[in-house]
Amino acid sequence: MSSSPNLIVPNVSTLGVKEEPGQPLGLFFWICVFWIGLNLFGAIFANVLPLQNPLYENFNAINAAPGLHHLFGTDDLGRDILARVVYGSRVSITVGLGSILIGYGIGAPLGMLAAYRRGRFDAILTTVMYLLLAFPAIIATIAVLSFWTPRSLLKIIVVIGIASIPLVYRVIRTATLSVATKDYVIAAKVQGATDRRILMKELLPNIAPIALSFFLIGVATIIVLEGALAFLGLSVNPPTPSWGNMINEARTVLSQNIWLALFPSLALCLFLIALNFIGDRVRAHFDVAENKL
Amino acid sequence: MKRLVLLVGIVFVISVGSFYLIHLLPGNPATVILGFGATPEAKAILYKQLGLSKPIYLQYFVWLGNIVHGNLGISFISQTTVSSVIRSALPIDGEIIIISQILAFAAAIPTAMRSARKPDGIVDRILGAGSFTLLSIPPYILIVVLVLFISIKLGVSGTGPSAYVSFGTDWITNLESLSLPAFTLATGSFVVYYRVLRSDLIATLQEEFITMARSKGLSQRRIMWRHAFRPSSVALLGAASVNIGGLLAAGFIVQYLLQIPGLGYTLILAINESDFLVVQGIVLTVSVLVVVINFFFDFIINMVDPRISRE
Amino acid sequence: MSDETLLVVRDLTTTFATGGGDLTAVNHVSFDLARNETLGIVGESGSGKTVLSRTIMGLQPRVNTTVTGSSIIDGFEVVGASENDKRTIWGTEVAMVFQDPMTSLNPVMRIGKQIDEALRVRLGMSRKDAKARAIELLELVGIPSPIERYNAYPGQLSGGMRQRVVIAIALACSPKLLMADEPTTGLDVTIQAQILNLLDELKERLKMSVILVTHDLGVVATRTSRIVVMYAGRIVETGTTREVFHHHRMPYTRALLESSPKVSNKSHTRLVTIPGRPPNLLNLSPGCSFAPRCKYATDQCHTERPELRPSIEPGHTFACWNPLPVNSEATLP
Repeated sequence: MSSSPNLIVPNVSTLGVKEEPGQPLGLFFWICVFWIGLNLFGAIFANVLPLQNPLYENFNAINAAPGLHHLFGTDDLGRDILARVVYGSRVSITVGLGSILIGYGIGAPLGMLAAYRRGRFDAILTTVMYLLLAFPAIIATIAVLSFWTPRSLLKIIVVIGIASIPLVYRVIRTATLSVATKDYVIAAKVQGATDRRILMKELLPNIAPIALSFFLIGVATIIVLEGALAFLGLSVNPPTPSWGNMINEARTVLSQNIWLALFPSLALCLFLIALNFIGDRVRAHFDVAENKL
Repeated sequence: MKRLVLLVGIVFVISVGSFYLIHLLPGNPATVILGFGATPEAKAILYKQLGLSKPIYLQYFVWLGNIVHGNLGISFISQTTVSSVIRSALPIDGEIIIISQILAFAAAIPTAMRSARKPDGIVDRILGAGSFTLLSIPPYILIVVLVLFISIKLGVSGTGPSAYVSFGTDWITNLESLSLPAFTLATGSFVVYYRVLRSDLIATLQEEFITMARSKGLSQRRIMWRHAFRPSSVALLGAASVNIGGLLAAGFIVQYLLQIPGLGYTLILAINESDFLVVQGIVLTVSVLVVVINFFFDFIINMVDPRISRE
Repeated sequence: MSDETLLVVRDLTTTFATGGGDLTAVNHVSFDLARNETLGIVGESGSGKTVLSRTIMGLQPRVNTTVTGSSIIDGFEVVGASENDKRTIWGTEVAMVFQDPMTSLNPVMRIGKQIDEALRVRLGMSRKDAKARAIELLELVGIPSPIERYNAYPGQLSGGMRQRVVIAIALACSPKLLMADEPTTGLDVTIQAQILNLLDELKERLKMSVILVTHDLGVVATRTSRIVVMYAGRIVETGTTREVFHHHRMPYTRALLESSPKVSNKSHTRLVTIPGRPPNLLNLSPGCSFAPRCKYATDQCHTERPELRPSIEPGHTFACWNPLPVNSEATLP
């Protein structure tokens, strides 16, 4: 980094989006938050919303284009796509949230403790985790899920969740390490604060932005993973709708029905864009030190 | 040298994991592998081969012994050895990955340089927003869209499903058939490489020795390539290491959708047909490969910038 | 421009657009530099002297930076010139020696190659010729065993050696103006003198003008013919070295001189410091920038900014409402 203290270096951004510390998060940010909220709302309250039955097969209206009756059209079994997309969000969101919560539930406390305590505990644990990390998670997930039959949503969440533990561990540990060596933490220690107090008051607030950011990006990645699993037939069993399932089904009827491919794909991509954007913005917003001298 | 020990350790863990997979299945492994229609004699032979009567940790060593001799078992569907199945499928993955990486680097390096030279300029912003969007589109969706438009709607030959032929047979069609999957994988890689390189270049360009190079009257191009790129390439290689490891796996679905007989396609077929030995073999091979690739890259990074090992 | 004048700076102003507003680091600076003259630019950290040195040769950052005014080096107008145009004078007309040789040399490139680069790219020398000349230069700056050192990496050399390499690179294309930005800060005291003497010697031999930018008055005392004193981006006093040291008028100059530790002081003499801190350049007060810290400040000093006006001797100007009387002397470092 430049060593001349007199030379002021102008701020440059990491994504082509101008960022200043403490700058308001921007309109698009809130649009994304709104979109996430909308999806969450739909997922939770799907039952009470005025939707068609996602499992009802109407053979009079197969592969229908979007119209008054079916706002997103129907699939090749006559089921309403809009309803299936909304209900499908449940699977994706549940898997995304559930798995990352497992990863954080175990990986985060371990990571923080390891970074704070150091010593043998840290050395052993970190070596193990890094070993696990070297094992490509996707393959492990595919392998385990293909062998561990019969499949259920819970099993999927558990498998992906466990697979995400080493990654969460690494991120949280790295973040905690960079904070734990800061002077104010050492100062608190010298003042006689208990470990618990330091963890809660000093470390936690400072790694919160990175933790949150990675949380969101983790959800996004897992949702993508669930989609991939669906393509392999390893996700929830039909007729339960999930975004991945629907896109997979759409492949076979692609020439006759583009709506079945279009709407779940859109739903998925938009959700992912929103998640990624929020995750990235949160990180940039709080990370004052980045790229600024 | 420490790395070598680590490598061995990881491979060990992988092998144990792969080994244990068969035992996750409900029921007796022999029955599972051979199916219900198998004769008791066949089962008995398999029993012996896998040492299934022994306690589990001994089974592992039996299995390991088999592996080391290249004996991964027989494929249920095709009745050929698992290792020959893998051997014929692997080069295809390799080809796709190589092509995709060439595309990704060729696109990412110049654009990242351009953006680093004029951060927040128009080009930078467009690329930033665009790459962000691309990032959020999963490869399996992208490939479906591409197939839809290019193969079906535009009717470009050789790019559709089942169009694959081997390189030796007809290299033009070969490249055509691999173009869409390679392109799809390339977009994901491009985004990563672009972001990493751009960010690192911007940081490097702020260093004092760049100002000094400027003061020598050197051209921007020279400064960028000769002075800025070298240190920044370390970050790029690191990203490549992580990325390529994941590409093997990410490529699977793309292959499957286009019925390109690489490891991915084979794996998925095997899963569907319950050909577990093939699944196990592929899992093992791919995992080991990923780890080896990572270490290979680490080694190269070390050569490029010896400071890393000093730190 | 007369034949004698190498550099003419008029109203040079450099502004950075930062998150907190516009920051004017260099504020309407004007002075001349003759050929073969050595000028000292003195000031604390944050006075704007580094930014000034870069702006004079057009080396300021390209983003978020605005420069107005004029800086003409041997007939070439730097302000407003395109990067391509400026490149024609960099290295061949004007060169810079940076403060920290560890960061100003490319750490992963051999030093010989770094010198070669300037020769081959700018002067079009062949590889063989460039190498020969590079070794000559290494010798010129006093590096022992230059032929072996040619292949060394910067990390393998000591601080003093590295700085000599930096000087060698700067001199490679025989510039007429050498900008030395704190060339010895951060080096051992014993090495400092060596480097400065080297610079003196080279300046004589190669007939260059030198601008020495520093916060250390000891450095400029015997090696410069004129001095410019900067504070908060402006020139607050300028004149011949002798005049400024002995007959300065601006209290800041006095304060600077007094705060330099003097070898002749008895041990345990308290270090004199200037009370307060350098001003926040984003938020400049309307009056004299030094007024908050000045012990002679009057009401006018706080409200009206003083312009430079001449003192007794020609060429000596200062900016102060309440200057020190003409013949007062400070004890010299």
